Amino acid sequence: MQVQSTASGRRCPSGEWPRDELEDLLARVTRPGRYVGGEFNLRHKPGARPRVVLSYPDAYEVGMANQALQILYAGINDESAGSAERAFCPWPDMADLMRARGVALWSLESQSPVATCDLWGITLPHELTFTNVLEMLDLAGVTLHAAARRDDEPIVLGGGPAVANPWPLAPFFDAFFIGEAEGRLGELVEALGAASRAERLEALGRVAGVWLPPRDDAGRAGPPARRQVFAAFSSTMPVTRPVVPVFEAVHDRAVVELMRGCTAGCRFCQAGMWYRPVRERPADMVVDAARQTLAATGCDEVSLVSLSSCDYSAIAEVVERVRALRPGLRVSLPSLRIDSAAVQLARFGAGQRGSVTLAPEAGTQALRDRVNKGIDERQVLESVEAVFSGGFTGLKLYFMLGLPGESDDDAAAIAQMAARAADLAKRIGRGRARLSVAVSSYVPKPHTAFEHEPFAGEAVLRRRQGLLRDALPHSVKVAFHDVAASLVEASLARAGRGSDALVEGAWRAGARFDGWSEHFDVRAWDAAAGSCGVVLGETAFSALGAAPWREAVDSGIEEDFLKEERRRAAAGLLTEDCRGGRCVSCGVCGDGVEMDVVA
Amino acid sequence: MTGHSASPRRAGETTVADRHWLVWFARCGPASYLSHLDTARALQRTFARAGIDLALSQGFRPKVRFSLPLPLPVGAAGFDELAVAEVTAGAPPPSDAVRALRAAAPEGLTPTRVRECSARVRPRPRAARYAAEVRGDAVILAAEAARFAAEDEVLVERTSPKGRRTLDLKRYIGDLIVEAVPGGARICFSVRHRSDGAARPQEVVDLLAGRAGCPTVVHRLTRLGVSFEGVPRDEMSGREE
Ligand code: SF4
Repeated sequence: MQVQSTASGRRCPSGEWPRDELEDLLARVTRPGRYVGGEFNLRHKPGARPRVVLSYPDAYEVGMANQALQILYAGINDESAGSAERAFCPWPDMADLMRARGVALWSLESQSPVATCDLWGITLPHELTFTNVLEMLDLAGVTLHAAARRDDEPIVLGGGPAVANPWPLAPFFDAFFIGEAEGRLGELVEALGAASRAERLEALGRVAGVWLPPRDDAGRAGPPARRQVFAAFSSTMPVTRPVVPVFEAVHDRAVVELMRGCTAGCRFCQAGMWYRPVRERPADMVVDAARQTLAATGCDEVSLVSLSSCDYSAIAEVVERVRALRPGLRVSLPSLRIDSAAVQLARFGAGQRGSVTLAPEAGTQALRDRVNKGIDERQVLESVEAVFSGGFTGLKLYFMLGLPGESDDDAAAIAQMAARAADLAKRIGRGRARLSVAVSSYVPKPHTAFEHEPFAGEAVLRRRQGLLRDALPHSVKVAFHDVAASLVEASLARAGRGSDALVEGAWRAGARFDGWSEHFDVRAWDAAAGSCGVVLGETAFSALGAAPWREAVDSGIEEDFLKEERRRAAAGLLTEDCRGGRCVSCGVCGDGVEMDVVA
Repeated sequence: MTGHSASPRRAGETTVADRHWLVWFARCGPASYLSHLDTARALQRTFARAGIDLALSQGFRPKVRFSLPLPLPVGAAGFDELAVAEVTAGAPPPSDAVRALRAAAPEGLTPTRVRECSARVRPRPRAARYAAEVRGDAVILAAEAARFAAEDEVLVERTSPKGRRTLDLKRYIGDLIVEAVPGGARICFSVRHRSDGAARPQEVVDLLAGRAGCPTVVHRLTRLGVSFEGVPRDEMSGREE
């Protein structure tokens, strides 16, 4: 029996899709949905110029959760003549196949090679994604070192929070954008119109916030770029038509950014400094954005996001009005502050479910005061009680080890606090409550009060992890951040000029997806560190007390303010949140930048 | 994007006059790479974006009344796929619904027909037709297809998390045809769905390509049609066009 026409004249509206060489790869890899696009609200602008590709150097599903990518994607596609497409880091099985078959990295929207775009913007979230940047450049067939790039290669622009110190990746990028790019997209796109690569770079260099790294080891870098603050944040609608993944879409939430910045002043927190000052969107705008985003996404939950959403001035009003948009609509707030968690849970907890994370950060009062987390144990335990009596079945307590001034006793005190919380869970949770503890290792970051503090080091972290593990009750599940991965972060976070050799060496030794425990291999980093003469865990190519990042980045935070905060930390003194009205002169406000809160 | 978003009914609300729909759709292009669960989620989201409320089950944890009676493998296109949906009384008439759903669907998922039924429908697959390409010599593969046709019994082992099972593919495979295509061969076959299960397309390819000594990687798998039991006669899919 012969089938007449197997295709029966049926054709996919997407055309002959995908092209043969991609189809061949997709048939052989795990999770092919990562590489095909086809999401809700995807933008197609065939032939539009400049063609920008936006990337997040991690797997598709991680990158798609990044809000900055959604903002830039919508901004370029909807408000400029150019087009923005996306590409993520191929998982190792796909990367190996691409190399074996000679297929270059493509963008999800047009399936065209990334290497043929005009500008490749890569968001840099943290140090453990750095080797993935090199992996992506290599897979795209883009020359690794910017100085050697040909005229027809894209300009590679780095952005995101990890550009707070761009040195470890400086030679791989043509330029970096420091800060929030929303307000400069028009200028960036316009700069790409220049005829030659050199002219385009020159034009980019004139855009505020752009830093041009030196092109050779001895070369002079451009002047430090001032971190850009999107001053029109409060008067600009958030993204209401985000790209919604159809592949392994776990979170079914419409995200609305209601506020940017946090001035609570936790001394370890880089985001708290990097996104200053606080800017809030008006309640009407937030509610309208929630309504539009729900319609465009088909979600059944709204997440009101920011670094600290419960601090938003009109939070009670907004939660109530968003809930009223639709019967039964759930509203989630991703961050709860312990000092007011009991009140917040009573107000906003209804309709939320599952588990909650609270972050005491440290086990003793002295250490919490030192990091400016001015909560006491009574407040922590009240919050724990409120979580379980509010019906939540899971609670994760988040702590850090290795904070400046920490002793072994501080580490052991985490266990005591967890034990008391576990007792409460048992008593109130009626057997259903689960308590877990997550412990990360603190890595001092640039532009914070602790930017010149030493990293605790491997031996101390391992000892304190052991102490804590032994002291915790058996009923409490504990997860520790991998110390070896923290050593890599510590070497890179404050690294100086030349530290790119460490990243490149590790990548050449096989490092990629370092943030994934199944792929992280410290041996690749050890080998690279050995050949660079660096001890893993010690700052690479810089000395304690130096601040190489200031050659590239002017964050707007006064050095004197950070020094004073460090002094106050050592003295155990708390510093007030400036949103209460008392400016503590961090230096950020002025020149058109100011705190903007809902009246 | 059209319409307002759906407002799912909560548990405890009355469920007067829920309506029963059969929704046919095509899944191709990028949507071919969705899993069964992702396909169902994407379609449910399409309903929400189109402003068509799916009905919810009763109980403490209500679920939307929506199902896909025959999963389509990851990587496969399908042009006559069926979804069973229950919608609330306020849903638009089927002809308007198709337009709204199409406008709200992502690339590669295309609702093609909506049929309203008077009562709940529980379609059970009877047979499905597939086409799959392999990188191999069509002449050798055709000889293997002929050998298969001549055999009385073809036993294969299936391993799954539930254990091992031996299947006689002859009980499940209907016509099996090979034709040459650029770069390889296309295998066309129909699979019978019996009370004890069905053969998987990959098993058919494994057998034929394995015997022919060519790679067993399946390319451009397409489900051409499915016939169901329990679907009103005039709405049977999978027919020849
Ligand atoms: S300058 Fe003053 S008001 Fe502005 S963010 Fe800094 S501390 Fe707050």
